[in-house]
Amino acid sequence: MKRYVILSLILTGLAIMLLAPRIGHASRVIESKVRFAPVDIYLDSGSRPLAAYQFELKVTQGKVKIVGVEGGEHEAFREAPYYDPAALAKDRIIIAAFNTGQDLPTGRTRIARVHLQIGGDVEPEYELNLTVAAAADGQNCPAEIALERGERE
Amino acid sequence: MKKLAIISFILLVIVLVFLISIDWGKVAWNLHQMQNAADAEALSGAKSAKRVKIDLPAGSQAIPGIQQTGEPGLLPITADEIWVIAKPETPARASDSETPGSGAMLARIEEKEIPLPLKHTDVEGQISGYIATVHVTQQFHNPYDEKIEAVYVFPLPQNAAVNEFIMVIGERRIRGIIRERQEAEQIYREARRQGHVASLLTQERPNIFTQKVANIEPGKAIDVDIKYFNTLAYVDGWYEFVFPMVVGPRFNPPGSTDGVGAVARGTTGVSGQKTEVQYLKPNERSGHDIALALDIDAGVAIEEIQCPTHAITNATESPEKRHVQLSSLDSIPNKDFVLRYKVAGQTVKSALVTHRDQRGGFFTLMLYPPEDLQTLKRAPMEMVFVLDCSGSMSGKPIAKAKDAIKRALRKLEPGDTFQVIRFSQSASKFGPEPVPATKANVREAVRYVDGLRGSGGTMMIEGVKAALDFPHDEERFRFVCFMTDGYIGNETEILAAVHGRLGASRIFSFGVGSSVNRYLLDRMAKLGKGAVAYVGPNDNSSEIVDRFYDRISHPALTDVAIDWGNLEVEDVYPSQLPDLFVGRPLIVTGRFRGQGNTTIRVAGRVGDFTRQINIRTRIKDATHPGIACVWARKKIEQLASRATYDHSAALPREITQTALEYGLMSAYTAFVAVDSTRQTAGDHGVTVAVPVPVPEGVRYETTVRD
Repeated sequence: MKRYVILSLILTGLAIMLLAPRIGHASRVIESKVRFAPVDIYLDSGSRPLAAYQFELKVTQGKVKIVGVEGGEHEAFREAPYYDPAALAKDRIIIAAFNTGQDLPTGRTRIARVHLQIGGDVEPEYELNLTVAAAADGQNCPAEIALERGERE
Repeated sequence: MKKLAIISFILLVIVLVFLISIDWGKVAWNLHQMQNAADAEALSGAKSAKRVKIDLPAGSQAIPGIQQTGEPGLLPITADEIWVIAKPETPARASDSETPGSGAMLARIEEKEIPLPLKHTDVEGQISGYIATVHVTQQFHNPYDEKIEAVYVFPLPQNAAVNEFIMVIGERRIRGIIRERQEAEQIYREARRQGHVASLLTQERPNIFTQKVANIEPGKAIDVDIKYFNTLAYVDGWYEFVFPMVVGPRFNPPGSTDGVGAVARGTTGVSGQKTEVQYLKPNERSGHDIALALDIDAGVAIEEIQCPTHAITNATESPEKRHVQLSSLDSIPNKDFVLRYKVAGQTVKSALVTHRDQRGGFFTLMLYPPEDLQTLKRAPMEMVFVLDCSGSMSGKPIAKAKDAIKRALRKLEPGDTFQVIRFSQSASKFGPEPVPATKANVREAVRYVDGLRGSGGTMMIEGVKAALDFPHDEERFRFVCFMTDGYIGNETEILAAVHGRLGASRIFSFGVGSSVNRYLLDRMAKLGKGAVAYVGPNDNSSEIVDRFYDRISHPALTDVAIDWGNLEVEDVYPSQLPDLFVGRPLIVTGRFRGQGNTTIRVAGRVGDFTRQINIRTRIKDATHPGIACVWARKKIEQLASRATYDHSAALPREITQTALEYGLMSAYTAFVAVDSTRQTAGDHGVTVAVPVPVPEGVRYETTVRD
């Protein structure tokens, strides 16, 4: 009987030793979990054709890294917009684009899509500021900017 | 006791049930996470990841050139090391539309043809004055029936300021983000693991880059657009635009691991180097081709255009504008594309180009030596020729180099002395010390040079030591001429040795071959306060030697100093101005404040006399947006050059900071782009390295490790 007890204890100990690191690691994995998702930036310039814009996107909560910048839905802003690398180094991104053509969007249009790597379980919060929106004549035009969490296919 | 036994037994059963019920997929995933941690550790310097190589079972079919990376997390492999670790579940094969005869890009392997993931490279350049803006598009696709990751090691000019990176998926264009290299690599690895289409551009050397594109689905195409600026060389009245097309096979000294290995197609890891380039065998042909178009706006009338390396078409739009296109009959990317053009006028005047934006003012000044230098004669010299006799030089390259040395020997004057040093695995020399340039000595030296052959490794350090480690003759100017293709992976060691041993010598480096290591040769010349020249397979080496002699037959303008007039100037590169030689202008770049008209005064010494050049200039607000990038790139170059002999931790930090601020590639930064909108199905598939041809004139047998 004593032999069975010792054998059972040894086997139990071995099983715990084998499992412990994996269980411990699983909890670390949850902490370091990351996912990728886009946010879409919309701008509404009303009835005035939009020729240029600049905005600043800042992450106020959550672990977020910007991993790509894509253009908008209208042909005039389909090209991947430029960002200011110096501003990116300070955990924000300043994005700008312009188009000198005739075919320009009016009303609400997606002007850019920002691809993100999101870490942890905290849902990120953002601050979005429109620096400027301009019409084809170079004059500032009143516009509304908005952010929507982009959809994944 | 019996109770204790029952409790123990129950505990054991619980544990066993728990073990059985575990989601093994998750365990595998967790193990993969452990691997990511190991990768991060490896990147941070503690390279502990174990490398595993598993041969394919007999009879199994592997894709040539493909390394299967297996199920995620099941084996510890670092993302930077590509190993054959498992056989694909379903052997990948080309889809019907890509079979031979359908127009797909193909590689021939013992009469069998297989498709490769890099289809085409498109190069479009605009030259304005002496600054080139170049767009390079690499078109990747997946001709297999499972997902792949494509890895391509490719060259760009050694002074390219790479500041734009866009991943193109169909109609969608995603601009890549500049990040610290380690961070970019981690983002890429994670995106690849999760099945997102992603791309990563890293710099292995200032002229060697690695492009990785993950999760290319079968039949799909992904393009990568890269943009860079660079300044053109101006040599003896000609501007020169160079686009390198292939990385030459490098020799790495025993014990080194940070080099660039040259291995046969389909083999990995055999070189033991961090970066490996796979080469096609002599009877194999890659279907990867290249198109190149250039628009030149010289600002003044263009008198003549030459392309010594390729067949081109050349259309004149106006006297100062030309459109040049690479002929479709000459589209194999196996040598540097070199285009030279000459502008009107006897001499080109020194000129300042400026740019101002929210970051401040930037300028480049192309500074030409004073014309009257050409009327003055030189002092006696001690000429040391150092010839690379390694395997990669065998054949045409060494023949060209020997012709050049013999021509140069015959042009020596009474009162000069000379020495000839050869190196491959070791170094040896013509005489125990430099000998007088008598007719008899020159004849004997020509015979010595005639007898030299190319074989063995490239222990360039031996050549550097032999050339610089002997007392300097105070009576003479010492010129050390290195004749080499520069196919080595230990550039840093060589540059540090040159810096440490230079003394009063001036280094002139001659790149010999169709696709030489211009980074090494340029840096050697800059550290050696000399100049660089290139002798291509179709160049007349006598002409190049004559021009070199013409240059050194006149004294240089030394102790050059610049008075910037009304401009407040700072952060000027190069920070120590080198000597100015006849026919060789100098590009100086810096930051400035101030505006309006000013006169810049450049002064220097010629022997006992002082010479001065006045440059009248008018500051304009914005002339070329690339100037800020050119300035930042020059700053990085200077810091990196210092880092070869100064191991202060501050230098990498300053390089990183500058590169991030100006959005530039460097050894410490990388571009990453991820399509976050979609996850492709399954794991990240197999890794496919893009094999390349050895450069024209280079022998595969003597340079590539099978």
